[in-house]
Amino acid sequence: MKVTRRDLLIGSAGAVAGLALTPVPWKLLNDVSIWTQNFPWIPQPAYGPVETKYSACTLCESGCGIRVRMAEKFPVGVAGVRSHPLTKGALCPLAFAAHQLNWHPRRLREVRHAGRAASWAEAQAAFQKACGEGPIAIVDGRPGRAVSSVFEAFTRKHNGSYQAVLSAESQALAPYADWSGVPVASLGYDLENARTIVSFGAPVLDGWGTPGRFTQLWSERAAGAADPQLRLIQIEPSLSRSAARAWRWVRVREGIEAQLAAGLARVLLEERLVTQPGPMPRLSLAEAAAQTGLAPEAIRDLSHTMMENRPVVVIAADGNPAIAALNVLLGAVATPGGIVRKRGEVQPHVPDDPVPESIRAMLVDSTVPWEFAAQANAEVFRFAAWDGGGDRAGWLLPAPGFLEELTDVPTSPTSALPTYAVAQNLVALPIGVQSAAQFLVKIDPTMPAVEKVIHARCGEIFRSRQGSVYGEHPIAATKVDSAQHLEEQLRKGAVWMGEPPSPGKFRCELKEWPMENRVAPATSWATAWVPPVFPALATKLYQESNLREPPAERRG
Amino acid sequence: MTGRRNLLIFGIGMGLAIVTGWTAFPRALYVRREQPLEFHHKTHSEKSGLTQCDSCHVLGSDGEFGGIPGLVTCAGCHAEKVGTSKSEATLVDGYIKPSRETPWLVYSRQPANVWFSHAIHTRRAGLACKDCHGTMGESDQPRIYEQNRISGYSRDIWGHSISRLGRAPHDGMTMSDCEDCHRRRNVEVGCLGCHK
Repeated sequence: MKVTRRDLLIGSAGAVAGLALTPVPWKLLNDVSIWTQNFPWIPQPAYGPVETKYSACTLCESGCGIRVRMAEKFPVGVAGVRSHPLTKGALCPLAFAAHQLNWHPRRLREVRHAGRAASWAEAQAAFQKACGEGPIAIVDGRPGRAVSSVFEAFTRKHNGSYQAVLSAESQALAPYADWSGVPVASLGYDLENARTIVSFGAPVLDGWGTPGRFTQLWSERAAGAADPQLRLIQIEPSLSRSAARAWRWVRVREGIEAQLAAGLARVLLEERLVTQPGPMPRLSLAEAAAQTGLAPEAIRDLSHTMMENRPVVVIAADGNPAIAALNVLLGAVATPGGIVRKRGEVQPHVPDDPVPESIRAMLVDSTVPWEFAAQANAEVFRFAAWDGGGDRAGWLLPAPGFLEELTDVPTSPTSALPTYAVAQNLVALPIGVQSAAQFLVKIDPTMPAVEKVIHARCGEIFRSRQGSVYGEHPIAATKVDSAQHLEEQLRKGAVWMGEPPSPGKFRCELKEWPMENRVAPATSWATAWVPPVFPALATKLYQESNLREPPAERRG
Repeated sequence: MTGRRNLLIFGIGMGLAIVTGWTAFPRALYVRREQPLEFHHKTHSEKSGLTQCDSCHVLGSDGEFGGIPGLVTCAGCHAEKVGTSKSEATLVDGYIKPSRETPWLVYSRQPANVWFSHAIHTRRAGLACKDCHGTMGESDQPRIYEQNRISGYSRDIWGHSISRLGRAPHDGMTMSDCEDCHRRRNVEVGCLGCHK
């Protein structure tokens, strides 16, 4: 029998039809789809022994307790720590996925100068030259850390200026610091004892302060209750997440916070709802009503509601002095449930260094938000772990990413208690990456090492014999054998927490009612900038995730 | 006559494809690899009295699963050679003495984008180890590890039956298997329940 071309085609057609009756096409489709998920260029953590490490998160200044799951010395998962005294197991969505950040496509891994690849030696030579030619400035995004001491020491020795960029939460406390002389870092909110919280646009349920602290309070004392123990009044133009969940949402026009505060103060003073004497705002109730878009009765009603359930504290979204003045009037300063002063010595956050008129070079630490742009005509040495886009610096220097650097975590800005934690470098530093402190120590080897500063601070805490250490089992600081033992505990993820604040330790006096919507002209170009509450890198994850739901609601 | 001939040729082509697809394809799809050592679960349970899986595959009080025991556990008994087998010599000389972890080929290894909590499944749901791992704990010789040439996963993930018809409940660890089991037990889990 002769096999023709036609026979081959018919046989092939039969084979194709037959294949459809076998697992070949379906299994191949399945396997190929899996293969596409595992392209060789997608970074995969090494497979190996799994261990759990405890540390403090360094993504922002809140310093939440984190439990890191490590596989073959690589972090593969991050979760909260339930026993942490401040965060109680809560984390922001960004922290839950923080172990992925080191693999982010925008991770910086090489020195760049004017958009071109350069070397560390060139950067060091350029900075050294700048130090010799004129005054330099070092900008720190999280003052009070051990590395901040290195920055301060360097600027002192090299005739420079140390400057700090304050977070929105710290800026909101700045007016009280101005009026009382107490440093911003020593102030905090005693939210646990408050019964009414009036938020002027502060995203209290949406990333404000330490994640978990207020959401936990809110879920325990307010969520779902018609007459809750803790009343949250949110004053905001739009229905934000905080506004949607608040006990009462007061819708106002954009940017009229100072006018509303003045209107409320006028009602409080005229109707003698407060015992504290205070300067009368110049704005009348009718004027305040006209400017805010609220009826005079609504402002009056809001004033009465605020006073119904005391202690009441007002929280501003930024350093608006008119809102801060409302707290002074309400007697919410230096009292339980209000603005309190932390016990013990706290590193001051606002440095006294004057800003030189002309700066030759400026070193910007990686903790300073990417959006920060100093108003100075200087050569910029910008440390960053991730490239935020745009041309922002002459020198772009790759800094350590998440868990790649040993650092300490001082007290979170909104906390009423002093805390101290140490974030260990759980991951080896990638080649070609170094921190600003390492950079400065290479230029001037007489600078103190971060390890030594941390060691000294642990010694100070040990000698104070105050507070407790929250590790595997919380123990009083008096029961810790030695400073070395304390440091070991902190390096293993424990957190030291000081004593609760004692009321009545400071005083704010108002000579006249402040009317500016923002902080009075800033003393430095660094503090004039208002940073965003949430990093832009997290936006997508933040919008798509439900992880930020408070614990009580997740259980329900 | 021509029509019948064409039908025959079509049938032959079809038959050949079916036979090849069901017999040769599964063999060609998987590459067979041997474990680095001959480990006998049965011998270990009989001789050392370690009858419970969690004697070696430790599940910590905090829910952390230890997985395959590390070299330290093996060295507890095998610091020196116990017996004269080739595997014993490899274990002691090749891994324990130079402190090199044994590169076991894990039959049930899941992709990196999945996390699985043994604690939740055994402690909360009350599943037995064999519900997913079958009779692995009673094996008296190591099975050949079959690795999918395309996906790189173990054959145990898809299951030994290429058609997945008539397979035992523990034969297969795909996402569909997890979903089926959850559906049967009326346990709902979202994407982030398993996927990182």
